[in-house]
Amino acid sequence: MRKYLLLVLALVLVVSFTAVGFAQEKTEITVAAGSVGKELELTQQAAQMYMEEHPDVKINVLSTPDLTNDRLGLYLQFLEAESAKVDVYQVDVIWPGDLGQHFIDLNKYGAEEVTDNHFQEIVQNNTVEGRLVAIPWFTDAGLLYYRTDLLEKYNREVPQTWTELEETAKYIMEQERAAGNPDFYGYVWQGNAYEGLTCDALEWGFSNGGGTIVSPDKEITINNEKAIEAIDMAAGWVGGISPTGVTGMAEEDARKMWEAGNALFMRNWPYAYTLGNADTSQIKGKFDVAPLPAGDSGSSAATLGGWNLSVSKYSEHPEVAADVALFMAGKKGQKMRAIEGSFNPTIKSLYQDEEVLEAVPFFGKLYEVFTNAVARPSTATAPNYNQASEIFFQGVHSVLTGESDASTAVQYMELDLKDLLGYEIGEPRQP
Amino acid sequence: MSKTQKKVLKKILFYFVLAVIVVYLLFPFYWAVNSSLKSQAQLSMTPATLIPRDPDTGEISIFTSNYFAIFKNGQFLRGLVNSSIVATSTTILSLIVGSFAAFALGKLRFKGKEPALYVILAMTMFPQVTVLSGLYAVINALNLSARFSMIFTYMLFTLPFTTWVLTSFFRDLPKEIMQSAQVDGATPFQTFHMILLPLTAPALVTTGLLAFIQAWNEYLFALTFTSIDPSARTVPVAIQYFSGEFARQEPFGEIMAAAVVVTIPIVVLVLIFQKRIVAGLTAGAVKG
Amino acid sequence: MAKKGMSELAKEEQKLAVKLLIPTFIILLVIALYPLGQVFYTSFTNRTFAGTGTTEFIGLDNYQKLLSFSIKELPPVVDEETGKVKIDEETGKKVFQSPIQVLPRQPELYRPVYSFNFFGSKYVVGAVTPDFIRAVFNTIIFTIFSVLIETILGLGIALVVNSEFKGRGMMRAVMLVPWAVITVVSAKMWEWMFQPTRAGLFNMLLDKFGIGTGNFSFLTNLSLQMPAIIAVDVWKTTPFMALLLLAGLQLIPQELYEAAEVDGASKIRQFFTITLPLLKPSVAVALIFRTLDSLRVFDVFQVLLAQKRYSMASFNYFQLISARQMGMASAIGVIIFILIFFFALSYMKALGVDTE
Repeated sequence: MRKYLLLVLALVLVVSFTAVGFAQEKTEITVAAGSVGKELELTQQAAQMYMEEHPDVKINVLSTPDLTNDRLGLYLQFLEAESAKVDVYQVDVIWPGDLGQHFIDLNKYGAEEVTDNHFQEIVQNNTVEGRLVAIPWFTDAGLLYYRTDLLEKYNREVPQTWTELEETAKYIMEQERAAGNPDFYGYVWQGNAYEGLTCDALEWGFSNGGGTIVSPDKEITINNEKAIEAIDMAAGWVGGISPTGVTGMAEEDARKMWEAGNALFMRNWPYAYTLGNADTSQIKGKFDVAPLPAGDSGSSAATLGGWNLSVSKYSEHPEVAADVALFMAGKKGQKMRAIEGSFNPTIKSLYQDEEVLEAVPFFGKLYEVFTNAVARPSTATAPNYNQASEIFFQGVHSVLTGESDASTAVQYMELDLKDLLGYEIGEPRQP
Repeated sequence: MSKTQKKVLKKILFYFVLAVIVVYLLFPFYWAVNSSLKSQAQLSMTPATLIPRDPDTGEISIFTSNYFAIFKNGQFLRGLVNSSIVATSTTILSLIVGSFAAFALGKLRFKGKEPALYVILAMTMFPQVTVLSGLYAVINALNLSARFSMIFTYMLFTLPFTTWVLTSFFRDLPKEIMQSAQVDGATPFQTFHMILLPLTAPALVTTGLLAFIQAWNEYLFALTFTSIDPSARTVPVAIQYFSGEFARQEPFGEIMAAAVVVTIPIVVLVLIFQKRIVAGLTAGAVKG
Repeated sequence: MAKKGMSELAKEEQKLAVKLLIPTFIILLVIALYPLGQVFYTSFTNRTFAGTGTTEFIGLDNYQKLLSFSIKELPPVVDEETGKVKIDEETGKKVFQSPIQVLPRQPELYRPVYSFNFFGSKYVVGAVTPDFIRAVFNTIIFTIFSVLIETILGLGIALVVNSEFKGRGMMRAVMLVPWAVITVVSAKMWEWMFQPTRAGLFNMLLDKFGIGTGNFSFLTNLSLQMPAIIAVDVWKTTPFMALLLLAGLQLIPQELYEAAEVDGASKIRQFFTITLPLLKPSVAVALIFRTLDSLRVFDVFQVLLAQKRYSMASFNYFQLISARQMGMASAIGVIIFILIFFFALSYMKALGVDTE
C-alpha cells in the first residue's frame, strides 16, 4: 500500500513539475518602448501580431517615460544592474554609439539581409565598430513649416535659402504686426540649451558647408568660417524675426506659438504636421512643410532623429528577442505604424507604397528630406556623444544669448572637444 | 483716534494682510485650475486670459475634457491608490520609529547623543540622484517589490526629518513632567507613551503632514523603482507618463488637471488634521 | 543610597535610549549604508555609469578637477607697430587679451568662469570645470536668498495664522496648498506662467501695466533667471517653514505672554523677548531642513532652467545621466554633503541649540 502511495506521490510530483515546466516554456520577452498614446498602442498591436504567429512567446510592452533624459536614466539603471528584466530597448538615434557595448550584434541574428532596405544613413549610424547594435524602427528629421495663407497673402515664395527666409520673415512679420497682431513672429525654432539645439544648429552649419562638428572619420571640424557664419546668422534672428525667448524654447514651445497662429515659419519634426491639422489648431489647413533652407554655400540639411530597437546582451533569450525586434522593425510592422500612427518608416520602399501614401499623403514630400538627412556625430564621438553635444549646444547657446561671440565660442568648442575626445583637428567636408 | 476706531483699523489691517497672504498662496494654484480648464488653443492665446475664453469670440468657454481624460486614465487612478498607500505607510512608520528615537534624543541622558543626531541627519544629505544607483542595487539584492522599495527608501528622507523635528519638540517639554511621572512610579516608557506623546500631538501631526507630502510628491525614486512594475506607479510618475497622441507632445492641460485633482486629497487631509495642529496642550495645562 | 539610585536610573535611561534608537539605526543601515558607502568610494574612482570598461582608483582627481580654479590678470593688448596699449575706438577703453590666451591649458584646460575689473586691470577666474564652479555659486545664492525670504515670510504667516480669527481652520489648509502641489508639476506650471510671450501670465500682466512689450524672457535672461527661480521656490516651500514655525509657536506657554501683558510689555517687545528666543529650536530645525533641501535643489532647476544654468544637484544629474561620469557625480555628491554638514553645524552653533 505504502509503495503505491509513494508511487502515486512521485507521479503527481513529476506531472506537476512537467506541468510547471510546460507553463514556463512560454518565452517571455519584455520590450521597453515609448509611453505615448498612439505609440504605445501600436507597439502593443505589433506585439500581438507577433504572438499570434508565435504562440510560444509572450511579449510584455513596458512603457518608459517620454522625456528622453528620464528614459536614458532608466535604461542606464537597467544596464548598470545588467538586468535581464528588459530584453528589447527602444533607443534614440544618438544612443547606439554610447550604449552599443550592452547590445548584441543584430547582424548575427539575421538583420544583414534586411539592412539594405533601410535608409543607409541610419544603418551607418547604428553600426558601431562593425556591429549593428540597433535596427531602425522609425525616423524623424527637421522640417520647415510655413504658413501657406500668409505667403500667398503677401505674394512670397517658400524660402530656399536662409537669407530668403530672413527677408520674407522680416517683411511679413512687420506687415502682420502693423495689421494688429503684436505677438506675431517670423520664425520659431528650438533655441534652448539642450539636445534640440544641437539638431537645429547642426542644420544651420551643415547647410552652410560648415560640417558636422566632428566628422565621421573622427576629426574635429567645428572651428571653421562657415560654421561661425551660420551661428552668427542664427544669433541675428534672436530678438528680430524670432522672439528673445526663443533661447528658452523647445519643440513644444515652438509648436504652441505656431498653432496659435503667431509664427510664419517654424522648424520642427514631422509630429507637428498632424497636430497642426487637428481641430483645436488655429492654423488648420493653412500650412505646409518643405525642406529647411540652405546656406549660401551648401544645400538643405535636416538633422536625423528617430528611434531604433536594440537587444540587450543580458537578455536570457537573445534569439527570440532579436526576432521580435526584427519583426517589429520589419516591413509589416513599419507599414502598420505608418498608416495608423503616421510614424515615418525607415524602409525606403514604404514611401512609394500606395496604402501608406493614401493614409499619410505628406510622406511623399518627406522621402527626399530623409534621404538627405544628416546624422549627429554620435557614432564618431562614442561613448562621449552627450558630452560632445553639450559642449556644442552650450557654446551655440552662449552666442545666441549674446554672452559670447561665435568665433570665441567655436574656439572653445574645439579645445573642449579635443580635451574630451582626443581627436585631431580637421577641415569639414561636404558629401 | 478713539480706541474702538483703532481696534477697527487694526482689524481691517489684519484682514488685509490675511487677504494678501491668501492671494499670494493661492493665485498660482488658481492659474493651474484656470489652465486645466483650457484647450490647447485657449492655452496658447495671446494675451493669456484670466478665465478660459474662446479664442475666436472671446466669450467664456470652459473646457472640461482634460478632467475626463485623466479620470479615464487607469494609470492615474491607480497612481492615486499607490501614492496613498506608499505615503501613508512611510509616514506612519517614520512617525513611530522617529518618535522613539526622538524621545531618546530629546529627553534621555546618554552618551553619544550629538553624534547620533548628526549620523541620522547625514543619511539625507546626499542628492537623491547620487544614491539612486546604490539604492537600486540594495533593492535588487533584497528583492523588494516596487511598493515596499518606495516605502523603505522614502524613509531615507522622512525618518531623519521626523526624528529631528520631534527631538526638538521633546526637548522643549518641561522636565518637571517627566520627573513628576517618575515620582509617581512610571517607567520611562510609560512616561513617553502616556504623557509625552499626547503632549506632542501638534508636533506629530505637523511633521506627519509634512513628511506625508514629501513622500507623496517624490518622483525620482518612484520613477526608477516602479519602472519594471507599472502597476505600482505613484501619481507623480503617472503624471509624467501622461502623453499626447504623439511623442514630444505634452498634454499641458491634462497635467494641470491632474495637479489640481491630486492636491485636493491633501487639502482634505489637512482640513481633517488641522485642528490637531493647534489643539496641543499648553504648558499651563500640563502643570495644572 | 540616593546616589546609587540615580546612577541606576541613569543606566536605565542609557539602556532605554539605545533600545529606542535601534529601530532607526537598523532601518537607516539597511537602506543607506551601502548606497552612501558606494558614493564615497566611487568618488575616488573613474567609474562610468553603465560602462563596460574597468574602473580604476584615482584618488582625489575628481575633486581636483571639480574644484581647481585660478585667477589670472589679463594683460592689455599692445599694438605691435606703435608699442602702445591698444584702445578700443568705440568705447575708448583699453583692450585686453581674451581669457582663452591667458588661462593655462596644461596639464588641464582652464575655461573662464567670470571676469572682473579691479583698479584698471582686468582679471579672469578660470576653472577646469567652470559649470560646477558656477553651479556651486548659483546654489549658494539660491539657498541664501530663498531660505532667508522663506523664513521671514513663513514666520509672518505663522504669526498671522496663530492669532484668533474666523476661518483659521480653512486658512491652515490654504496655507499648505503650494507645498502640496507635486513639485515637478508645480515647476511646469511656473514655466508656463513665465512664457516669453503674452501667453504667459507674467508677460500678460506686465504688458497690461504697460511694462515691456510682452516678451520678457524670464528663464533665458541671465539677470532674471535667479530671481525667477527663487520666487518659485519661495512660493512652494514657505508653507513648510510656516507650518513648522506654527507648531513651534504652539509650544510657547501662553502664560508667558499673559505675564508680559501684566508687565505692560508691548506686542513687539513680547515678540523679541518671548517668541523669538523660545522659537529658536524650531527655527533651527526648520532652517536645517530647508537649507538641506535648497542645497540639493533639483526639480525647479531641472524643469525651469535645465542646462541653461545648473544647480549642484542638476549638474550632478547631467554628469551622471548624460555624461555617465559616475566617479565625478559621486564626488559632487560628497561635496554637497560636506557643504550641508557645514551649514547644519553652523546653524546649531549660531542659534545656540543644545544638542546634548
